[in-house]
Amino acid sequence: MLSLWPLLAALVSLSISSYAKSSTGDSVLVVLDPSLQRDNFSIFFKGLEANGYDLTFRAPKDVQPAVIQDDHAEFSHVILFAPEAKSPCYSQDITPQSLVTLLEKGTNLLVALSTKQTPLTSLAAEFSLILPPAGTPLVSHFPERDTPSTVVPVNVSVNPVVPSSLPPVWFSGTPFAFGNNPLLVPILNASPESFAADSDRDSGADAVYDAAEKGGEGFWAGSSLGLVAGFQTLGGARATWVGGIELFSDEYAEKTIGGIKSGNEPFAADVASWTFQESNVLRIESVAHHRVNETLPRETYTINDHVTFSAQVSKYNPETSAWEPYSGISDLQLEFTMLDPHIRTSLIPVPGEPGKYSVTFRVPDRHGVFKFVLDYKRKGWNFLESTTVVPVVPPRHDEYPRFLSPAWPYYAGAISTSIGFLVFSALWLTGDNQEQKKSKSAKSE
Amino acid sequence: MPFAYQLPSDVSPATVANTSSLLRIIALALISGAAIASRLFAVINFESIIHEFDPWFNYRATKVIAEKGFYEFWNWFDPTAWYPLGRVVGGTIYPGLMATSGVIYSLLHAINLPVDIRNICVLLAPGFSALTAWSTYMFTKELKDESAGLLAAVFIGIVPGYISRSVAGSYDNEAIAIFLLMFTFFCWIKALKIGSAFYGSLAALFYFYMVAAWGGYAFITNMIPLHAFALILMGRFSSRLYVAYSSWYAIGTLSSMQVPFVGFQPVRTSEHMAALGVFGLLQIIAFAELVRTHVSSKQFQSLLYASVVGMGITGALAIIGLTYKGWIAPWTGRFYSLWDTGYAKKYIPIIASVSEHQPTAWPSFFMDLQLLIFLFPAGVIMCFRQLRDEHVFVIIYAVVASYFAGVMVRLMLTLTPVVCVTAAVAFSSLLDTYIDPAEPDVLEDDSNTGQDAPTSGTSTAVSTSSPAPSLKKAKKAAAAAPPAGPLDGLVSTVTAAVSSSKKAGKPRGVFGLDTRIAVLINALGMLFFFVMHCTYVTSTAYSSPSVVLASTNPDGSQHIIDDFREAYYWLRQNTPETAVVMSWWDYGYQIAGMADRPTLVDNNTWNNTHIATVGKAMSSSEEVAYPILRKHDVDYVLIIFGGLLGYSGDDINKFLWMVRIAQGVWPDEIQEPNYFTPKGEYRVDEAASSTMKNSLMYKMSYYRFAELFGGNQAVDRVRGQQMPKVGPTLDYLDEAFTSENWIVRIYQVKKDDPLGRDLKTANAFAQGKKRKRSKPQVRRKAVS
Repeated sequence: MLSLWPLLAALVSLSISSYAKSSTGDSVLVVLDPSLQRDNFSIFFKGLEANGYDLTFRAPKDVQPAVIQDDHAEFSHVILFAPEAKSPCYSQDITPQSLVTLLEKGTNLLVALSTKQTPLTSLAAEFSLILPPAGTPLVSHFPERDTPSTVVPVNVSVNPVVPSSLPPVWFSGTPFAFGNNPLLVPILNASPESFAADSDRDSGADAVYDAAEKGGEGFWAGSSLGLVAGFQTLGGARATWVGGIELFSDEYAEKTIGGIKSGNEPFAADVASWTFQESNVLRIESVAHHRVNETLPRETYTINDHVTFSAQVSKYNPETSAWEPYSGISDLQLEFTMLDPHIRTSLIPVPGEPGKYSVTFRVPDRHGVFKFVLDYKRKGWNFLESTTVVPVVPPRHDEYPRFLSPAWPYYAGAISTSIGFLVFSALWLTGDNQEQKKSKSAKSE
Repeated sequence: MPFAYQLPSDVSPATVANTSSLLRIIALALISGAAIASRLFAVINFESIIHEFDPWFNYRATKVIAEKGFYEFWNWFDPTAWYPLGRVVGGTIYPGLMATSGVIYSLLHAINLPVDIRNICVLLAPGFSALTAWSTYMFTKELKDESAGLLAAVFIGIVPGYISRSVAGSYDNEAIAIFLLMFTFFCWIKALKIGSAFYGSLAALFYFYMVAAWGGYAFITNMIPLHAFALILMGRFSSRLYVAYSSWYAIGTLSSMQVPFVGFQPVRTSEHMAALGVFGLLQIIAFAELVRTHVSSKQFQSLLYASVVGMGITGALAIIGLTYKGWIAPWTGRFYSLWDTGYAKKYIPIIASVSEHQPTAWPSFFMDLQLLIFLFPAGVIMCFRQLRDEHVFVIIYAVVASYFAGVMVRLMLTLTPVVCVTAAVAFSSLLDTYIDPAEPDVLEDDSNTGQDAPTSGTSTAVSTSSPAPSLKKAKKAAAAAPPAGPLDGLVSTVTAAVSSSKKAGKPRGVFGLDTRIAVLINALGMLFFFVMHCTYVTSTAYSSPSVVLASTNPDGSQHIIDDFREAYYWLRQNTPETAVVMSWWDYGYQIAGMADRPTLVDNNTWNNTHIATVGKAMSSSEEVAYPILRKHDVDYVLIIFGGLLGYSGDDINKFLWMVRIAQGVWPDEIQEPNYFTPKGEYRVDEAASSTMKNSLMYKMSYYRFAELFGGNQAVDRVRGQQMPKVGPTLDYLDEAFTSENWIVRIYQVKKDDPLGRDLKTANAFAQGKKRKRSKPQVRRKAVS
């Protein structure tokens, strides 16, 4: 249930800014390094503004507007386009620690990296991104082209973040290897022939070759390298790391690859839309549980009851800025848990009722405090989590079967004893008086 | 016959009888008043509050019964206890206490007396102690006479051994159980004495009440069969015994099975087999007696005896066989621990960890019984002098209870009534002897006893030796008219001979007033000091609620340390209602009762594994404990820490039990020796072992403790050890609350890191520590 709160908060903020496209709000702070011209990224920023975002620009050194004021995140999204700024260039409120705090407060982050050693480099490590040493950009000699070898065209593969196939994009910057954090969502991976090298010249090629021979240890190369990676935090906020800021530039957006216009512009829009929680945002509207043939939930269930659990799931539609019922999840699961899941079953979409998932099962023959647990974690989607606590109790004293057939010997015993007692009493009372006296006298002896 | 002092001669016997009965009633009323009043120290010194641990649960259960009625209570499933297992309360408790309070509550409300249920619970134990005094009076009256009964009532009314469990606020099963115990025994003796099925059924009824009220009912279940068996062995089988026992056993067993917690135990566990066996034996013997009265043939009788013996052996073998087959549950660990005091420590640490299950220290016999413990053996010997059936009972009771009281502190409670009874018998015999104005004539006495000695009738011997119209003597003689078995006759002859020779050998001067007064003043002085002792012990040792602690200010005034309630109310006010609190099981009932929050384990120690889980979490390092805490949805961890104040009952002192209990379940992960220094010392200072220092319990106890001393040397006042300057750090828990005197400390369990890191790393990052550079994971070498 707790996980619903950010969503509710989102709903509130949504009602305030109903024209926004994002599900969490429209205010965006762009921290732009003064050395970078805003006009160089006009296509990207214009696209955001066209989508209804309210951009506020600020240099890293500026104090105002603050990112967090009075313990409250002032912006819904923060774009950090200051890849080469060293720590003195940042004001107090932008530190790796405060950025993590921002994420905890539900603010989405879009961060651009560079090949230089900056505070962001150490922050990236917290997201399980393993950056190569400073000054080692991505290098690829294929395909043959007229640009330097550090400006690389990369094919975009379709993934949850990029739903439709796009032409290759231009990339220039640092790659990163992925740690084993399951929250990472790779969005753009390097081409197989590319690698990270400390020079754009080929003088270090031998060293690269040697490293490859050693089995790739400590070596940044190949298609497993990430260039753009998303990160879905447990709290619901999203962060996206981009290896080079040029990806968003007007120059790359208009540059062609083999005569076709590069895919940079739609790709950047897709990345922004995912990061700002426009796309792939689900939420659980409500959960309900009740016994079969009843409609209202019970405070407790009895063991072996048949119980129906249903959940209403919505998906955010950025076109209409509205939550719409969503029945497209085929692998939603429900667990009925006490310490361990006693029952794990698939929660099936109900035909005819959009957004509703339902399952009926028999409560286990075990009393205790159980939880209906809905835990849906898929790469690229936000996480659906719902926990409903419900005690399962043994039958009440009057819910047991009243007469048992195996107990007939006992019933017979009780009845025969009762009858025997009656007969004996009758005989005793109506019996001969004299005999009674006799027995009395015998007793007194 | 000469008299030592003048008796009024113009009083009719009826007046004497009436006056003495009025005096008895007044005395009993005063005794009841004294019994109740002496238990109110706790209320006056502190307040009207429920004490200790178990009473808190009883109180909570009683509130349910008062608010929702009996059926809801019967079906009560408590989801907040033993989270997440829950507890079927209706089927796992003895409901007698709560039902009693519930009935009183409804009665008072029915007559428009809106008394708070808490006050009923607080004052129930003192109220029942008055009833105990009365039932002890009845019991002792059967044994000797009314004056002994009154003495016994006084003794049981104020003896600390019983007060320790029945002060106001000590709302526990024992509060009503001792009354039921004594009254059941009284009914049993009465039934046996007059062969009454009515009293037998009454005994069964109160036995049922006892079964519904206290787990110690097994004591009655075994005492009465033991008594019956002893009587059979003494050749005292009679139709009275048969009637009394059969009516008690049949009705008592059937009704006791109606208590859900007991269920089929009376026919399926070894503890109850003695009663069943004696019941069967009685039927066989009764049958044999019946046949014997109808058949005269010598051969047939011997055949009959053989068959009786055979049937008995067959029955015993059947019980043994059923035990082996598993139809009858074997003896439980608690039972074994009664015979081998080291058993529990080895095999069931959870039982051994309870302080009231420890063997009794000798001084506590004196502290709890004072003068009575010296009179006790004398009283038992006095029982041998008459040795009627009820005296046999008291002797057996005395022997058995003495043993149990030596094994377990808690069972001192069952010894106390019999000590009071026998001490009263001894003391009243002393008073009888020295107050009785009759001065026996030596010659006459000699001749009388000389005539009586060869005869076997005891009643005649007593009555002829004291023809004086003394009421007491007459009563005694009447009461002493026994069914004379062969052994009884022998003993009384011997005692008569002994007493007569004593009397004959003594000079007349002993019967003088001065001697009498010297002895009597001495005796009264003993009684006086007994009262002083009882009052002192009750007010100082047994009236502390232990929820509230008292200390003394320098000026002598009382200072109340109220950390427990402070912390529990903090929980109640500042945490969500569903917040699960983990603590050691001692505090489970209090948390449930005062803080109203779900707990993992509590004083109803029914699930050893669950307790061991808590023990493991407490004794492991943070990294190991965290998944356990998360799995059990723990939000808060509560510990008791006495290091600042010198409160010795804290969790660090109990810590080794947690380790032992956890070790019992996870011997590979938790090992007790790791918590000691290499020299084998249990220390918390710099020299403590690293396992100890890393354990969650240690960290929680001493977290920020050194800061409190502002750079001075931090000292743990309980253990008297100097703490290291730099205290432990916590990564997975946050300090949420620490009470005024640091007795209760509450920690909040952190949620998972939003970035999916482990909390130690996250904490290091938040503190600005640099992380070591990592490299891409090693991949398979590409095939060239």
